[in-house]
Amino acid sequence: MTTIHPLIQVKNVDLHFGSFHALKNVSVDFNAGELVGLVGDNGAGKTTLIRVLCGIHTPSSGEVYFDGKLVETFHPKLAIDQGIETIQQSVGLCDNLSIARNFFLGREPVRKFMGVPFLDFAHMRSKSKSVIREFGLRDNVSVDDEVERLSGGERQSVKIGRAVEFKNRVVIMDEPTNHLSVREREHVNELAMQLKENGLLVIYITHDIFQVHKLADRIVIMENGEKIEDAATDAMTADELEEVIRQGGRVVEKREAV
Amino acid sequence: MTTLKQLVRGQGLGAIIGVVVMLAVFSLVDFSGWWTKQTISNVVQFTAILGFVAMGQALVILAKEIDLSVGSVYGLTGVAFITLEPTLGVPGSLIAALCIAALVGFLQGIAVVRGQLPSMIVTLGGLFTARGIIYVWTGGSIHNFSEAARDHPLTRLLGGDLFGIEAAIFWLIIVTVILNFVLWYTPFGNWLLATGGDRDSAESRGVRTDRAKITAFILCSLLAGFAGILTLCDQPQTHVTLGEFMELDAIAAAVIGGCLLTGGRGSLIGAILGALIVVSFRYELIALGAPSSWFISFVGAVLIVAVIFNQKLARWVGHSV
Repeated sequence: MTTIHPLIQVKNVDLHFGSFHALKNVSVDFNAGELVGLVGDNGAGKTTLIRVLCGIHTPSSGEVYFDGKLVETFHPKLAIDQGIETIQQSVGLCDNLSIARNFFLGREPVRKFMGVPFLDFAHMRSKSKSVIREFGLRDNVSVDDEVERLSGGERQSVKIGRAVEFKNRVVIMDEPTNHLSVREREHVNELAMQLKENGLLVIYITHDIFQVHKLADRIVIMENGEKIEDAATDAMTADELEEVIRQGGRVVEKREAV
Repeated sequence: MTTLKQLVRGQGLGAIIGVVVMLAVFSLVDFSGWWTKQTISNVVQFTAILGFVAMGQALVILAKEIDLSVGSVYGLTGVAFITLEPTLGVPGSLIAALCIAALVGFLQGIAVVRGQLPSMIVTLGGLFTARGIIYVWTGGSIHNFSEAARDHPLTRLLGGDLFGIEAAIFWLIIVTVILNFVLWYTPFGNWLLATGGDRDSAESRGVRTDRAKITAFILCSLLAGFAGILTLCDQPQTHVTLGEFMELDAIAAAVIGGCLLTGGRGSLIGAILGALIVVSFRYELIALGAPSSWFISFVGAVLIVAVIFNQKLARWVGHSV
């Protein structure tokens, strides 16, 4: 008999940075094929939680399971190898490298010559070129241009294109529509839905409550390093969701009492 | 214009312009003294030696660190090469000396990465420690190769003439070609550039930035050590001041050659051209009869001008430096 388990299971995770208690006994499940909105005010612990999931931080205590297996070592490389792709606000692209080099950073295709691995530039260029065109980058942008030349929206497009291209199992989007035009924002949200429909787990972090309420199947709300709510999106309106974030745990307690 | 911008992006254009201007000025000021076979031969020989050290420095600067110990590592490796030769023979002492250099680089890299310490402080410690070991090891006295060691084929291969050119230049060309391929055409090069350019982004892509930095420190020490060995194969005599203040020349050469201390941008060939500028100034000032102490002032002035010029060039092409 096969057991159906969450794709990612976070169990009683605590994280301390010195005396600062960044995550407090957080437990949450994430399933394949769902889009989960992770919301909360600044400093709520959303980004810290995803940094645990993508291997940047190791929990002080608690357990994380990926595909039913306990994660024993936390490192971004291991997370990427398992198919967890993160699109973060300010990191992910190196300004000094070309689009093609950034696109394949950490997963460089190589051709061996006398046993020495050399970058396969032909593949890097052609693949990244087709993807960035698909994601709407200007025609005058070359994949040999440094990403420093790109606008905020174009940078996000490169990151999302990369996430799609590498056929990941989990895509974590941390404020993916920041600095984007209205049209670009819609495009990114369509992509997020598309990823979900393809069976991927999408964790979507944003401050835009109405946007995430429209997109997500489930909303996880965090406050001061704690998970204070985990509910299906249709269990509350966008206004109620906003109220919970504004008032914090007090509203949740009131709702539970009712 | 596009080609020009591409050259500037490679960070080598500033150094090329610097070399052209320098040669023009030297030709105007001292044509007959500068363009002699002896002067050119000496300048190129010393440029090759400093070029190795400057390339190592460039790799570390590309990783957004700095290595102040290269002069002492150059001296320590040379001392190890000469003093271990009676016991290990020339090949054995060469390998042992390079292992010592690599070990110094490894230990400094570990201290910087794992200890999260500033590389300036760690390598300043390395500078003093290695120099202290040189004093203790040699007892302050001069050491020489035996006649047999001087005539050893390996010594001649590294220190004599090869195909009509100084061996150091020959080796510099080979090593430069290899390192350029490693830097621009291999995954490791991509990781090193990413590490220096934006460490957080590189790590978020799974790049082991700690390994990239440690490798840069090891390569830097190895290149400095190899330069020390080449020097001693040419003139097999050690003294306690071997390589003293060379770190300053190497940093100046790398920066004049276009390496930005903000990391991620630089050129190995630019570093060699920077070394050519530094060495040429030293030679020409001596040739013009200026007091040797003026050299430091001139290098300082050239360094400041080069930094301003390289930054302006970088901003001209839109880099945020």
